[in-house]
Amino acid sequence: MIKPIKKSIKSVIALSAVAVLGLAGCAESNSEPLVIGSQAYYSNEIVAEVYAQVLEDAGYSVDRQFALGQRDVYVPALLAGEIDIFPEYTGNLLQYFDPEATATAEEDVYQALQGALPAGLTALALSGASDQDSYNVTSDFAMKNNLTSIGDLAGVSGIRLGGAPELAERPYGPTGLLSSYGVTVEFEATGDTTVESLVAGLIDMANVYSADPRIQQLGLVTLTDPQGLFLSSNLVPIASDAVNQEARDLISAVSSAMTAADLVALNVRSVDEQLSSAVIARDWLLSKGLID
Amino acid sequence: MFSIGELFDWLTDPENWTGRYGLANLFVEHLTLTLVSLAIAGLLAIPIGIAIGQSGRGETLVIAISSASRAIPTMGLMFALVMVMGVEFRQFAVVLALVGIAIPPVLAGAYAGIKSIPIVIREGARAQGMTTWQQIRHVGFPLSAPSMVGGFKIAFLQVVSTVVLAPLVGLGGLGFGVIQGLALRDFSQLTGSALVIVLLSITGERLLAKAQSKLDRRLTHY
Amino acid sequence: MEWAAKNFDFVLELSVTHLLISLVPLVLGSVLAFALVRLTPLKLAGTIGTTFSAIYAIPSLAVFVALPAVIGTSYLGPTNVIIALSIYVAAAMFFSTRDAFSQVPKPTVFIARAQGLSPLQLFIHVELPLAIPGLIAGLRVAAASTVSMASIGAIVGVRNLGYLFLDGFQRKIPEEILTGLFAIFIIGIALDLGLWALGKVLTPWTRRSAQRV
Repeated sequence: MIKPIKKSIKSVIALSAVAVLGLAGCAESNSEPLVIGSQAYYSNEIVAEVYAQVLEDAGYSVDRQFALGQRDVYVPALLAGEIDIFPEYTGNLLQYFDPEATATAEEDVYQALQGALPAGLTALALSGASDQDSYNVTSDFAMKNNLTSIGDLAGVSGIRLGGAPELAERPYGPTGLLSSYGVTVEFEATGDTTVESLVAGLIDMANVYSADPRIQQLGLVTLTDPQGLFLSSNLVPIASDAVNQEARDLISAVSSAMTAADLVALNVRSVDEQLSSAVIARDWLLSKGLID
Repeated sequence: MFSIGELFDWLTDPENWTGRYGLANLFVEHLTLTLVSLAIAGLLAIPIGIAIGQSGRGETLVIAISSASRAIPTMGLMFALVMVMGVEFRQFAVVLALVGIAIPPVLAGAYAGIKSIPIVIREGARAQGMTTWQQIRHVGFPLSAPSMVGGFKIAFLQVVSTVVLAPLVGLGGLGFGVIQGLALRDFSQLTGSALVIVLLSITGERLLAKAQSKLDRRLTHY
Repeated sequence: MEWAAKNFDFVLELSVTHLLISLVPLVLGSVLAFALVRLTPLKLAGTIGTTFSAIYAIPSLAVFVALPAVIGTSYLGPTNVIIALSIYVAAAMFFSTRDAFSQVPKPTVFIARAQGLSPLQLFIHVELPLAIPGLIAGLRVAAASTVSMASIGAIVGVRNLGYLFLDGFQRKIPEEILTGLFAIFIIGIALDLGLWALGKVLTPWTRRSAQRV
């Protein structure tokens, strides 16, 4: 009685595994599909979708593993070969691999990143599009306290800083603010409610990605960063060794073609027109003549 | 990847227990959100459950609500309410979502408790001339207590589980360590926080289960 | 709803994944629960029962997130969430399965045995059919919880309807969240009806028209 049960359990598991993996997005191709990952960030997902579509247009089969979360979750997967391509940001990624990095300018950060990447990963063509962490305040708060740069906060007391939970531990978080600017902040883990909380006055300063359309739409003031707390951070595709040269060239081409204005426009389409990343990516690739 | 030693170090490090995002404060936040929501749910659901149990009207509604409610995606409900009410009212929105999640099991428990009282006893109380309030106080409530506590037990588990997601809308609670630990790939923080959550959940469940069986025994042993 | 119309294909794709991620654990968990019910000696039954009640007390996000750390599954792909959900289903179905089989009338079993049925024939032709109503009832409850719990898997990167909640909240698109709620509701109802219908199909003797003189 036990044997038949065990057999059926095994076959059910095998069948389910096949069914589920099959649904995970593999195309009809029998070669190993390229796995493209993305962060749990709609803007990053649009870029990942751009990479995916340009590869599919050229005949590759792609497995999309989107919304994976933070670097700390997916970089080990990249290194282990479970993910092949990932849209990344030069400055943040450099700091991840080399917390002591001193480069701040765009080109320097890119060079430093290429050196800091472990064996098995390569940084493809740098994009002109930048999307980095930045500290923002409302225009009222900026006027009231005469703020233009982060350092101007040193005289203000009781600053509440909002951002994702992991901001508390990042080098550009509260510890960096204190050491680079002598600014003390109280941290509130506001996550995806960060911008709303800033506007509602529940926090005084917010970490908002620089390509977020709401900075302009809501009239937020981005504080300047003369001390280079934030490294310059541009979009860059990271590829594992499993990616061949043709695929790399295709992705590098789209990466170079994307400008800073392009990225903000893509984000605007996502937030205002509420379209899916697949549609936005396709439209952009068609408009740039990168796919047909 | 995972080391019991590191987990132990993390749990015994006082740094991880102090401060706004220390385990102690997160525990208090978690418990507060849970108890407040359960209390409100109880105040709303118990009278309604008793009323429906006594009168028999609205029975199908109760049964439909309690079976459909198991399928409520708690995360979706929480997000929807916070979006609708705005971020300034997120505590209120989250409590509302939690109350919504807690009401069905408590309601079902109160209703089932009253229904399980033999009709002879219920009629007997009325025949003795008790007012409705006296009937509830001396007969209905005591006799349905085990079932009501059972309803609270189920609600407690659902609510504690949902509060774990509260950090996603900018609140606190023990889920913070799980979410930050996941983002930072700090397995000690992640499993350490998960462990505290599990302890809270199981302790509450055992306490309520014990209370339920004690109340049950008191009714059947004389 | 405009958003739903614009993104219909995507929502459909997520719904199919969501359904699969709910069905597979239901099957695996039930099989596991059944195996445990049949194979555990009476002495251990109490301990296993308490363990499973305790498992149900663990919040699902904690399990989804801690399981890779503890048993080494990968965050990538649905395997992690499927295993976790199967454990929950097994915990719930353990009690339903046990009760469903224990309320099969003993006299019926004795008579069947006396007629010379082998244990396997006894199981297939007598015990299982009579236990089906109880099993289906348990499955319906487990299915409802599984469908809603599965959406939490989106936090660890699983591509199901839970993604609509996270993305809708991040981009501040209420219709996206509502679409997710509605889609999960539909899937929940579909599964519930499907199981109910399955129960009816498997127990023809409970239908009035099957009454014979």
